[in-house]
Amino acid sequence: MIDVDGTPRSHSRRATRILDGLTPKEFAKAQSLAELSLYSQGVTFSVYSDQRGTEKIFPICLVPRVISGAEWSRVEKGLAQRIAALNLFLDDMYGEQTVLKAKNIPADLILGAKFFLPKLRGIRPPGKVRIPIAGIDLIRSPDGVFRVLEDNLRTPSGVSYVVENRLVTKRIFQSAIEESAVRPVEQYPMHLAETLRAISPVDPADTRIVLLTPGSFNSAYFEHTFLARTMGVELVEPSDLFVEDDIVYVRTIRGPERVHVVYRRIDDAYLDPEFFRPDSLLGVPGLMRAYAAGNVALANAPGNGVADDKAVYPFVPDLIKHYLGEEAILAQVDTFVCARPNDLTYVVENLAKLVVKAVDEAGGYGMLMGPQASVAERDDFRRRILAEPRRYIAQHRVELSTCPTWDPAAEKLAPRRVDLRPFILTQQSGSWVLPGGLTRVALVEGSYVVNSSQGGGSKDTWVQKDTSS
Amino acid sequence: MISRVADHCFWFGRYMDRAESTARLLQVTRTLVFDADIPVTQCWKPLVIVSGAEPIFTKRFGAGAMGNGEMVQSYMTWEPENLVSLHTSVRAARESARVIRDVLSLEAWEEVNELYHWMNGEDAKEVYRTNREQFYRRVRRATQLVLGLVRSTMLHDTPMSLLWAGVMLERVGQTARTLDMHPHTMELESAHQIVEVAIWLSLLRASSGYEAFVKKHQGRISAQTVASFLVFDRSFPRSLRYCLGSARKILTDIWPGAEDPGPGHAPYDRLDALTKWLDKRAVTATPAAIHDLLTHIVDETATICSSIGREIVGPPAPAKAPGARQEQSMTTTTNMTATATGTGTSASGTRTQ
Repeated sequence: MIDVDGTPRSHSRRATRILDGLTPKEFAKAQSLAELSLYSQGVTFSVYSDQRGTEKIFPICLVPRVISGAEWSRVEKGLAQRIAALNLFLDDMYGEQTVLKAKNIPADLILGAKFFLPKLRGIRPPGKVRIPIAGIDLIRSPDGVFRVLEDNLRTPSGVSYVVENRLVTKRIFQSAIEESAVRPVEQYPMHLAETLRAISPVDPADTRIVLLTPGSFNSAYFEHTFLARTMGVELVEPSDLFVEDDIVYVRTIRGPERVHVVYRRIDDAYLDPEFFRPDSLLGVPGLMRAYAAGNVALANAPGNGVADDKAVYPFVPDLIKHYLGEEAILAQVDTFVCARPNDLTYVVENLAKLVVKAVDEAGGYGMLMGPQASVAERDDFRRRILAEPRRYIAQHRVELSTCPTWDPAAEKLAPRRVDLRPFILTQQSGSWVLPGGLTRVALVEGSYVVNSSQGGGSKDTWVQKDTSS
Repeated sequence: MISRVADHCFWFGRYMDRAESTARLLQVTRTLVFDADIPVTQCWKPLVIVSGAEPIFTKRFGAGAMGNGEMVQSYMTWEPENLVSLHTSVRAARESARVIRDVLSLEAWEEVNELYHWMNGEDAKEVYRTNREQFYRRVRRATQLVLGLVRSTMLHDTPMSLLWAGVMLERVGQTARTLDMHPHTMELESAHQIVEVAIWLSLLRASSGYEAFVKKHQGRISAQTVASFLVFDRSFPRSLRYCLGSARKILTDIWPGAEDPGPGHAPYDRLDALTKWLDKRAVTATPAAIHDLLTHIVDETATICSSIGREIVGPPAPAKAPGARQEQSMTTTTNMTATATGTGTSASGTRTQ
């Protein structure tokens, strides 16, 4: 947003000028009103570690992040390309598995991915598309280039905050939003409903969609209710559904009614105890049978975890080339794969320079921030990596870009690190990218951790209309 | 409509109305203490008894505490273990509201959520300490606002019908209980006409029925007229007859054809019988007769609520129990036979007092 010399980049000049009109006192007031309104509306997440079920708002910083239309067009194309390749990769992994014979891609590494489900091989999802909903985490490196940090192809969350944040900033910066030609985000639920209808095993017009939530104790419960409400579909818990003769039904006050599409916000392992874990009481027994029989569509498809595995990530550019015959449009972060002997040696010898991530953990857990870690922490991680190299990847610490962010203690703006999670909805005809996405911000000075569970906040993301084409 | 959600709609309505009634009862009882020359102890004790909280309350604080206005109010307002305290009702209502978030309107939800956060914050405690009247007023207003928003911002279809059936049936119990406070007050005090009028006025206020009553009876206050108004009046929206009749109509909205065997028939049939039974009754002024009539209605209403719970689960396969709920029962007076009530087991969970 702001150039190296401290002047606003041309596209965000209008937005920054609007902010100039506010005194710090006025801004602080707007900021606390915004937070109060989110709290009243219950736009909150539950804190897992807190036994009392405390709810917190996802803190919002009212200063928007602005992205120019031209830049966004490139990001859009890159995301669509990436999803197209990953969809083909998943089809392949649960089909012929031709990719395992490709030169650059280590077969054992892919087959060893924690969330790969070989039992699903041969099952074609009813709607063909395996990743109707994706959230891809991007960062902007010091060279100004957006790079992919992580793919989320299972149950990506956060889109409700994108829409809610816009409702808040719209009340406060209405004219700035108009003048800056900011593209709207409120249409997301409509596109999502359409995307879900498109994978239905029956006529889209006769389709009953439900949103499957683990329940009101889940940390993302607000988002589940938000999406159900804004799409006008029913929010169900596993016990509301049952399967008979490979058909899924929902229990209603007038008897059972058939369900065609399940937008599930439950992990694979808890979908169906029959299929995944017989000891579990959670889930809908028989759901996977109904899915395999083609009688119900699941979004996203089970087994997608093999494609967003952190160990597979380094090879996504190769997958794009393999399946599409194209060069990847979006750059990503150079990654050392500890399963490869050369990389492993480098990683254990250079821990102080690297960020190490466990491939099967998310939300900022299972990570070593080498430069900040103590010698003891590094030694501990070194032992863990050597014991199970397959579980770890490493990257040089990427300097995240910063955005002017309100610091409530100092009552002024200060630079804070941000990332960006755009949301991509995909049908057979192609992908649609929500113009914007969730900008997460590390609210603590000097911090790199943007996760909501660990002191992160969010910003409204203003994508401007592309006037270049 | 999904059975689990339907169940929570019904209970949301009940909890909201319960919170409103309890707040009003506490508010009015405070005034009664000033209005009538009744010993303070005799004002608060009946409230504990009719709320069904007596056994636990006396066990914890001793029987004498029932005459202590501050202890009673604190127990009826804040006590989390008291299944009918304001705190419990608001928390339970908000929990149900979270479950039915996708059918509640944003405005209704926001109001419930704000009430819940307010009750759990320092502000509410401060208002409770410094301005009790204002505190009860605020709770009443918020609950009334929620129920008003439900009617004016939600689709008038099955979810709202279920919610409103909950409101109506809860209200039957609340009005009956409020009316039944009278014998408790009278039993130990030599009935003095001025005292009696003060009590009846207070009772009407506790049911928000003072003005409506005055319009109908031009100030002729007697046990006969007041009891008759609160039991039989067909146009007063808190009378037993009105609430039963309204609930009966709502059941046919939820389950069209409930008059005939099929979905919804079981609770409809029972409610229909109760309403017709009531229509054949006349109020005699003796407290005992009124008490018996009220006890029967509260018992039957509890059975009807359980029956609705079973019906909500729908024709086939059993649903998992979402957890126990609080059924408020009619408790007996010292000189009446105890009737165990409100322990009906619904298909979606055991509801005990």
